[in-house]
Amino acid sequence: MKKFLLPIVLGFSGLLLGESKEAILKKGEALYNGAGSCVACHMKDGKGQKGSVPTLAQSDWLKNGTERSIAIALRGLAGPVKVNGKNFYSAMPPQLLMDDEKLAHILSYVNQAWGNKERLVTEEEVAKARKSLPISVYTPQTLLKQFPFDKKLSRKNGTFTPTYDDLITTIIQPIVYRTFMPGASPAAFAVALPGNHYFCWDAGECRLRYVWTKGGFIRSNQSHWSSNGKPVAQFNGTPYYRARTSLLQNESFDDLSKTNLKQPIYDTSEAKDFPILIEGINRKPVFLGYRLVDQYPQFRYSLGKHIITEMIRVNQESTGVERTFTISPPAQTSFHLTPSEEASISCSQGTLNKDGTLRLNQEESAQFSIVINPKEESK
Amino acid sequence: MNYILPLLIGLLGSSVLALTSPQYMVTDIPPPPTMFKNTQIDGLTFLPNGKLVVCLPSGEIFFYHLQSKKWALFAEGLHNPLGVLALSNSELIVTQRPELTRVRDLDGDGKADDFEVVTDQFGMSGNYHEFNFTPVLDKEGNYFFALGTGSSGDGVRTITRGAFNERGRPGRMHSSAPYRGCIIKYTQDGNTIPWSYGHRTPNGLGFDLKGNLFATDNQGDWVGSSKLFHIQKDRFYGHAASLAWKTGFEGIPVDAPPAKLAQMRSRACIVFPHGSMANSPTQVLAIGPKANFGPFTGQLLVGEMNQPRIIRVMLEEVGGELQGACVPFIDGSPLGRGCNRMAWAPDGSLFVGQTKHTWAGGQGIQQVSWSKKMPFEIQNMELTTKGFLFTFTQPVESKFAQDKKNWPFSRYFFEYRRAYGSPRSDEMPVEIKEISISEDGRQVEIELSELKAWHIHEVKIQNLISQTGENLSNNYIVYTLNRLLDNTPPDPLQVKLATSTKSKK
Repeated sequence: MKKFLLPIVLGFSGLLLGESKEAILKKGEALYNGAGSCVACHMKDGKGQKGSVPTLAQSDWLKNGTERSIAIALRGLAGPVKVNGKNFYSAMPPQLLMDDEKLAHILSYVNQAWGNKERLVTEEEVAKARKSLPISVYTPQTLLKQFPFDKKLSRKNGTFTPTYDDLITTIIQPIVYRTFMPGASPAAFAVALPGNHYFCWDAGECRLRYVWTKGGFIRSNQSHWSSNGKPVAQFNGTPYYRARTSLLQNESFDDLSKTNLKQPIYDTSEAKDFPILIEGINRKPVFLGYRLVDQYPQFRYSLGKHIITEMIRVNQESTGVERTFTISPPAQTSFHLTPSEEASISCSQGTLNKDGTLRLNQEESAQFSIVINPKEESK
Repeated sequence: MNYILPLLIGLLGSSVLALTSPQYMVTDIPPPPTMFKNTQIDGLTFLPNGKLVVCLPSGEIFFYHLQSKKWALFAEGLHNPLGVLALSNSELIVTQRPELTRVRDLDGDGKADDFEVVTDQFGMSGNYHEFNFTPVLDKEGNYFFALGTGSSGDGVRTITRGAFNERGRPGRMHSSAPYRGCIIKYTQDGNTIPWSYGHRTPNGLGFDLKGNLFATDNQGDWVGSSKLFHIQKDRFYGHAASLAWKTGFEGIPVDAPPAKLAQMRSRACIVFPHGSMANSPTQVLAIGPKANFGPFTGQLLVGEMNQPRIIRVMLEEVGGELQGACVPFIDGSPLGRGCNRMAWAPDGSLFVGQTKHTWAGGQGIQQVSWSKKMPFEIQNMELTTKGFLFTFTQPVESKFAQDKKNWPFSRYFFEYRRAYGSPRSDEMPVEIKEISISEDGRQVEIELSELKAWHIHEVKIQNLISQTGENLSNNYIVYTLNRLLDNTPPDPLQVKLATSTKSKK
C-alpha cells in the first residue's frame, strides 16, 4: 500500500504511458463530463452540491491522497463525510463501468483541474489497487483507517456523527413537519413524500411554495427543536418547481433563510398574487387545517364561501408530484402556475396557457389535478 | 424564558437529595420514546381516561398509561407545541407556534389524523422568541392563550404573517406582528381578540378556583422582576411593545415616557424576586379538589425554570385587587430544574414536565406525591392593618415564634424601566413592633413598625419549629404589598432609581 508514495515526475509518467500530459487531461476531462458520469453529481465546476456531494475543487481530501482517491473511485464510499469543514451525506457508488485507463485519466484530470495540484495517476496504479483493495464499499471509518489524512493538510476533514435528519434517506411514509422554512411565512409545512419528493407548503398564504427531489429532506430540524427555535430548516439541492409572485422572484434560499431583518420583504396580510382566482370572489384565503389521508396531508382552506382542498402526492410514474384539488362549491376558476425550464406542468382538466394560467370552468373546478415533473437536466 | 445567569454553582454544591418538605416525594417517570434526542416537556395534561399527555419540542404528542407504563405516539409534526388541553380521550387543543389547533383522532386508531385551525388570527414575524403559550379554557367555552414577544437576539424573517407594524419593532423585545405580547381570547363565537396587553414572555396561564385568570411573566426589559398578573380585559401589564396594537395608543411604545406607561399599567399581584424566588416562572395551576396535596386548596402553584422549585401562591383581595404572598414549596433536588408544565393526576398527585430550550432548565417528567402526613408549612400570609398574619399548618413553638430576631423583615421595590431587570430599590430592614401568637399556636400576627404600600415585603423566618419539634420546611416568603387595607397612597410609579442609599447587596 505504500508503494506509490513517491511522486512520479509528470513528464516521466507521460513518457512512460506514451501520452502527453495534455492528452491525458483532455481525455480525463471528456470522461468526467460524459453523460451520467462524474459531472452529474460533482458538477462541471467540481464544486459538488451543498450538503450532499462533496467538492472536488481544492478538496483537502485530495491533498497527498491519490491512493485514497483511487480507493474511493474503485470501491465507493458510504457514510457521512466532512470535506473542507463541511458535512456531506450522499454515498459515492463504486465506478464499475470504468476500466483502469479511464479511471486513471479521470483521476488525473480531477487532480489537476480547478486549481488542484496533485499528481497524475497511472493505469498501473489503478490496476494494482483494483486487485489488492478489499472488495466491500468503504465507510469513512474503514477508508480513513487505511488511508489516513496527512494531519498537517486535513484538519477540517474526516467524518461526523449523523443526526436523525441524516438518517432519513428513503421515505416510505409521508413525513409532515411544521417548521421554519426559507421562502415561506413562519407558518410553513415541510413534507416528505414516499418516492423522495419534498415540498414546502405555506399555511400563512395557503399555497405551495416549492418542490424538490435531489439532496434529501430538510435538515437542522433537530437543532430547531432542541434550541430556542431560531434555526430555519435547510435542504440540499435546488427546487425543480418554485411558485413565483410579484413579491417573490428569484431570491436565493440563503437570502430567504435570513432571520435578522429589521423588516420583512413583505407580510402575508394581503395574500398578494394568490394563485387561485374564483370568479366573483375577492377574499383572502383562510387556512382551515389539514387531515391525514393515508398519512398524506390534505390541506383545507377557504376562499370566500368556497372550500378548497389540496393534496400532494408523487405521481404514478414517480417522476414528479401530482397536486389534487377540490373546490366546493365549484365555480369558474383560474389558477396561476409558474412555468420554468426546470419542470413541465400538465393538468387533468381545463386549459393551461403557456404563461402558466390554468382556466377551469365550473364543472372542471370540482376536482382537478396538476402534475409537475422535473425536466431531465439538459446539457 | 429568558437570558438567565446560571445558578449552577449553588445547585451542584448541594448534594443532599431531599426536598425541603419531607412529606412530599418525587418520582421520575420514564421518558417518552421520542425519535429525537431530547425529552423536554413543553405541554402536559391528563385525558379524561387518566392517561398522561405530553408535548415535546419535536412536535410529537405522546400518551402514557400510568398503570402499564406504556407510551404511545398520538401526533407528530406540530411546531413547538407549548401547551395542551384535553377535551376528550381523542381530542386535544394545542398551542403551537402558528396556531391554536384542534388535534383529533377521527378514525379511532389511536393516532391523530385531523389538525383543525381553531384560530391563526395573530401574527408571526418568525422571530424565535415568539412562543405561543398554554391554552386554557374558561367555563363559558372561551379559550385564552399567550403570545410571546420577539427578541432582540434576532430580527424578523423575510416573509412574516399578519400586518407588519413597524411601531412595535423597536426595543429589546418587540411586537411587529399582530398581538405579540398580548393574551388572546378566542371566543365561543369565533372571534380572536387581544384580551390584555403588556406581556413580555407570558409562559403560563391558569385559572384559580374562582375563575380568575392569571399569567406569569419573565424578568427583562420593562419587567424588573418576574411576576404573576391577574388578567383582566384591556389592561396593560407593563411591557411596552404590545401597545403598538392597543387602540388609541399612538407613537412608538418603547419611546413613550416611562411615567406615562407606568400610569397605564396594572400592578402584578405577585412579584417573584429575581435570584431568590424565581427567575423564570412558568405555568399557573390551582390546587383544586382533584389535588391530593395537603391543606392548600384554593392556592396556586407556579413552576420555576432555573431552580428545582415549584412555588406556592396565596392571594387575597385588598382594595378591590388581588395581591398576596409566594413561598417556595416543592423545593430542591430530586425535583429537576425547568419545571414548565404541571397537571393533577387522577390520584391527586402532581405531574411536572421539565424543559429548557437552551435556557436554564432540565428535561423529563416527574411525579410529586404527598405522603398524607401534615407538613410544617406557612399555610397562609395575610395583610392586617399593621402587619401580617401568618397561619401555619401545625402549631408553632411559641418560644421561637415570639422572638423578634427570628423575623428579619425587609422591604424594597423593583423599578419600572425600559432597561433589563431592576435592582432592589429602597431596600431596608423593617422593624417588628409586636408579635402575638394565637391560643392554638397556628397563627402568628406580626405588627411592623411601618407598612409601606407599593413595596415588596419579605422575611426569611429563622429557627421556627412546630410544637412537635419539626423545622419549618420553607421559611422564605415574599408578600407583594401593593395596597393597604385602608388609606392606600397613590401608586408612586417607581420609574426612577431611588435617590436614597444604594441598597446593600
